[in-house]
Amino acid sequence: MSTQASPKQLTLEYVKTIGLATNQTGRGFVNPYDVAVGQDGRIFVLNHCDSARKNLIRVGIVNLDEDYLGEFGSGAGTGDDQFSSPVAMVFDSKDRLYITDELHHRVTIFDSSGNFLDKWDTKGSGSGEFNGPAGIAIDSNDNVYIVDQHNSRVQKLTSDGKFIAEWGEFGSGPGQFNLPWGIAVDKEANVYVADWRNDRIQKFTTDGAYLASFGESGDGDGQLNRPSGVGVDDEGFVYVADWGNERLQVFAPDGSFVLVERGQATNSKWAEDYLSVNLEEKETREISNLVPDLPPHLNTPQHISAQTEPYFWGPVSVRFDRDGRLYIPESNRHRMQIYQRK
Amino acid sequence: MSNADIALMAHLMRRAGFGATRDELEAAVAKGYEATVEELLHPGDPQDLPQDIIRRYHTEQAELRLSDGAAANWMYRMITTQNPLEEKLALFWHSLFATGYVKLNQANALLNQIQMFRTYGLGNYATLLVELSRDPAMIIWLDNNDNHKEAINENYGRELLELFSMGIGNYTEQDIKECARAFTGWTLGNAEYMSTRASRDSIWPYSRINWHFQYRDHDHDDGEKTFLGETGNFNGQDIVEIIARQEATARFVSTRLFQFFAADEVDEDGETVIEEMMKSYFDSGYEIRSVLRTLFNSDYFKSEKARWARVKGPVELVIGAVRMAGSYREPTPGIEQVARQAVYMGQGLLQPPSVEGWHEGIEWVDSGALVERINFVAHELANVQNPGVRRIIDRLAGENGGTFTPEELVDRCLDLVGPVEVSDDTKAALIEYAGLQGDVSLANSDEGDESEQRVAGLLSLAAATREYQLA
Amino acid sequence: MVSSGREKNLVIIQLTGANDALNTVVPYNNGLYYDFRPNVNMAAEDLLPLNDELGLTPHAPEVKSLWDRGKVALINGIGYANPNRSHFRSMDIWHTAEPDKIATEGWLGRAVKDMDPQGENVLTAVNFGRGLPRSLASRGVPVASVGNLETYGLFPDVDDDQQKKYTLEAFARMYGPDRSRDPVLESLGQTGRDALRGADILRTAPERYSSSIEYAQSGIAQSLKNAAQVMFADLGTRIYYTSVGSFDTHGGELPVHAKLWDDVSAAIGDFYADLEEHGYQDDTLIFVWSEFGRRIKDNGSGTDHGAGSIAMVIGGEVNGGMYGRFPSLEEAEQQEGDLRANNDFRSTYSTILERWIGLDAPSIVNGQFEQFEFISK
Repeated sequence: MSTQASPKQLTLEYVKTIGLATNQTGRGFVNPYDVAVGQDGRIFVLNHCDSARKNLIRVGIVNLDEDYLGEFGSGAGTGDDQFSSPVAMVFDSKDRLYITDELHHRVTIFDSSGNFLDKWDTKGSGSGEFNGPAGIAIDSNDNVYIVDQHNSRVQKLTSDGKFIAEWGEFGSGPGQFNLPWGIAVDKEANVYVADWRNDRIQKFTTDGAYLASFGESGDGDGQLNRPSGVGVDDEGFVYVADWGNERLQVFAPDGSFVLVERGQATNSKWAEDYLSVNLEEKETREISNLVPDLPPHLNTPQHISAQTEPYFWGPVSVRFDRDGRLYIPESNRHRMQIYQRK
Repeated sequence: MSNADIALMAHLMRRAGFGATRDELEAAVAKGYEATVEELLHPGDPQDLPQDIIRRYHTEQAELRLSDGAAANWMYRMITTQNPLEEKLALFWHSLFATGYVKLNQANALLNQIQMFRTYGLGNYATLLVELSRDPAMIIWLDNNDNHKEAINENYGRELLELFSMGIGNYTEQDIKECARAFTGWTLGNAEYMSTRASRDSIWPYSRINWHFQYRDHDHDDGEKTFLGETGNFNGQDIVEIIARQEATARFVSTRLFQFFAADEVDEDGETVIEEMMKSYFDSGYEIRSVLRTLFNSDYFKSEKARWARVKGPVELVIGAVRMAGSYREPTPGIEQVARQAVYMGQGLLQPPSVEGWHEGIEWVDSGALVERINFVAHELANVQNPGVRRIIDRLAGENGGTFTPEELVDRCLDLVGPVEVSDDTKAALIEYAGLQGDVSLANSDEGDESEQRVAGLLSLAAATREYQLA
Repeated sequence: MVSSGREKNLVIIQLTGANDALNTVVPYNNGLYYDFRPNVNMAAEDLLPLNDELGLTPHAPEVKSLWDRGKVALINGIGYANPNRSHFRSMDIWHTAEPDKIATEGWLGRAVKDMDPQGENVLTAVNFGRGLPRSLASRGVPVASVGNLETYGLFPDVDDDQQKKYTLEAFARMYGPDRSRDPVLESLGQTGRDALRGADILRTAPERYSSSIEYAQSGIAQSLKNAAQVMFADLGTRIYYTSVGSFDTHGGELPVHAKLWDDVSAAIGDFYADLEEHGYQDDTLIFVWSEFGRRIKDNGSGTDHGAGSIAMVIGGEVNGGMYGRFPSLEEAEQQEGDLRANNDFRSTYSTILERWIGLDAPSIVNGQFEQFEFISK
């Protein structure tokens, strides 16, 4: 299956879905917010967890064959391996994993075995301080870019936490932000910020000079509704988790619209396991239409995604692995859809 | 502006909403009573906390897997809306058409039902009942998905007549069967899978799947039916039209509205008001808005008789305290605990104990519930950081040179958390408490200092009175 | 049996989320068990053998030692006809003793009403936890729900002792008997006085308690410690309610289930030792239940909602042993993939109500049910 060919000669091929809802630790995801792929190909999934399952906050580790390899992190709390509202994570070149927590105002660093290494957690608005750190990205020189949402800015730090630069202020003009969320860095170290409540992606130089903005409020092609995540491929195509529209959009390097994808999730291996022992559900599921026509009062993106199971529901982030596969974790569906660029 | 005007407006806002701050009361009195009633009856933009903000910071309200998240979502709306009657009326319909999470395991569909109450709740009663019959949460709740052409399930048909429109004694068992036949084929999309998931509380593989209405023509019994003496090939809408024009229906809905908005107990004068409400029901073509207008503008409603004639339900109490304290106006971790608080007090929003709703009136308050009520309200009002509490303290600091005798302070606190009228014994107890540390001066107080704490302490004690338990 | 002359206490431990019966009491000599549970099974050699066929989870050593002393009745295959596999609904069925229609009154609430028809003791039933479990709900039956015994009562936010005293005195006066003719206000006054009295009495319990037992730190152990404190303070409390969970082990079951049973078993062990230290073991019955068991086949990582369950009754006067039949794992005997219940939970309720507390069971559990011999007549 693939989405329609685009004028920009880019298509996305659906690869597979990994995930399953759970109310316990172990196999399955709980409101996954972000994905990071380690150097050995293991896939780390950040389980944000809703308020009723805060004790399950953790990083789960899987591989592309859907084996559940383990997990680290021990639920809600202020300990070094605990979180309150973890938002995003990223590996540096030394396979160290940086995780933001918007309520602890903290960035915690782990090695790829889940051992605690360091944390930056001064709350405030000064340089190197945070108020609600959200998205996080790393460039090829291991500079760390952190969206400091309530300070309406991006901060650039060295990998050992030394302040390099900051930019942004509250507002809707160029270089201003309103509750920004996700962030990405391209090969040239240009920085892309999902300016969430301004319904746009802003592009900056590595030092924060404003370059461009694309997207505007709306649900049409190239329009955005509260974009939460952003990713850039090696050719400069920009992939946006169009969170409020419950979809993925791709933009060309010049910011023009390329394609939109609503999602096409299928049963993961774990889902098949579940259905194989719960035949009442499997049998009635098989006679169901999970892409139904809905009455007009249920035609918002949230309503549609809440009852169209293959579609994205709560797509928070867009991340790549080293082979160019695209991972979109869906907070409300406890899974990630994986695509490959063609 | 007279104290009597303020007291009357406070009464209206307690009943048609969740109480109001002094600033809000003064603005409403300036507008006038009837103008305020009209504003309440014509809700505009609610200006509530936006859903995108809520979903970003409250994952449980984005996924809506459990009832707590959904209840908290509704509570945000109750706390921040500019249309209090819209929410209060939705709460009324929710207690009348009580649909519970326990059987559905589908919070999203329940919130859709509440939205339906907002959309249709002030309008034509027949339309509301048709929408109710099409509501997927109601369909699962009362088994209409099992009501088939070849084998009727009369659960929904029965409750539609008994609990939702006419009341027992106004129809026969045969009418129930005919009514059920008319609603065959009214089901939800993927009914078999959705009901299986509901019955197993399944979130697998990928969390809940929300519901939508589906009409299955092939499963509808299109044959002739005789219902309440009328004969025809009735479908559900036809049945509802017949129901809506019954006097029993007018009496039923007027009485229930009276008990929810005016007084727990109906006395003789109350019966007269109900007659007037019934007249408005028919004159307006079954418009709930007209029925409520008649009630709110009635002499009875405005009289002393209706004052404090209801026991506050837990949700009313919780929302009233939070709105007064000015807390939870932005995404606040722990909002779902506010929803839990109402559960501890005996009213789990979206979790009525049965299709009959809650037992209201004095039955709300047993000793466990009273402890929860008092502690919750005290917690909100004793916190001088809460914007609403600050506003009260600032207001007091600007009166009387900011200095109060114990008697004066008690009067002002009772006034500003209500006004609440208390017994002499209660007042004496409050004055004695306030007098333990003499006069209080807010003239040069610092935020959170002892003088402010004393005022906040007295506010929370004023809200711990038995009179405060009444609306 | 030598009577202490005390009233009989009932302690409820609700395992919420549906405890996996099959991994709690394991048919370790039955090949079908290992066939159906290739991933989520308990190795035979690890189990604590109860007999030649069944072994207890190794995470319940304290329960096993009570079993060895003959203090534990295991009720296998407990449930009801037409099982409902939704947590809330099935819990409600157990709470209300009414499987067929939606009921609102709890079986223990009705029992309390029979024990204390005038509602003279506001502490006849105490729930250790927030909110009111449906089991205890009954119109006019007061129940104290205690989140934390140390801070229970009115105005817990007022830290200063002197302030608290003034506040409570003011409250007592505001809710004092008055000359009001208004029945609603008078009822509120009575309720306020009850609440104050209950809190005053309950607060004394920790002060009066002394014990050599060091309870574990888990929530359930602390709840049972609170129960012991109230029990030994002799406040007339008869029903003690606690719950622990979540046993909803759809994924990652083995470590989660192990931890839960480690906690529950240790808590029971501590509590029972405390009962013995204070001489209450023969006056106290512990009843452990869960809303249903879990599916026989595992799902690769955990187990899903099932039907037939197990329950435990523990106490000095209990005739230890197996009750009910252990359900067959044969496909033909299964109930849609689940353990088929062979005894109605209301048989156990009836036994407890009549033989332990001495109440008329049929009116409380909605019918006549065969009783077990885990309590002698």
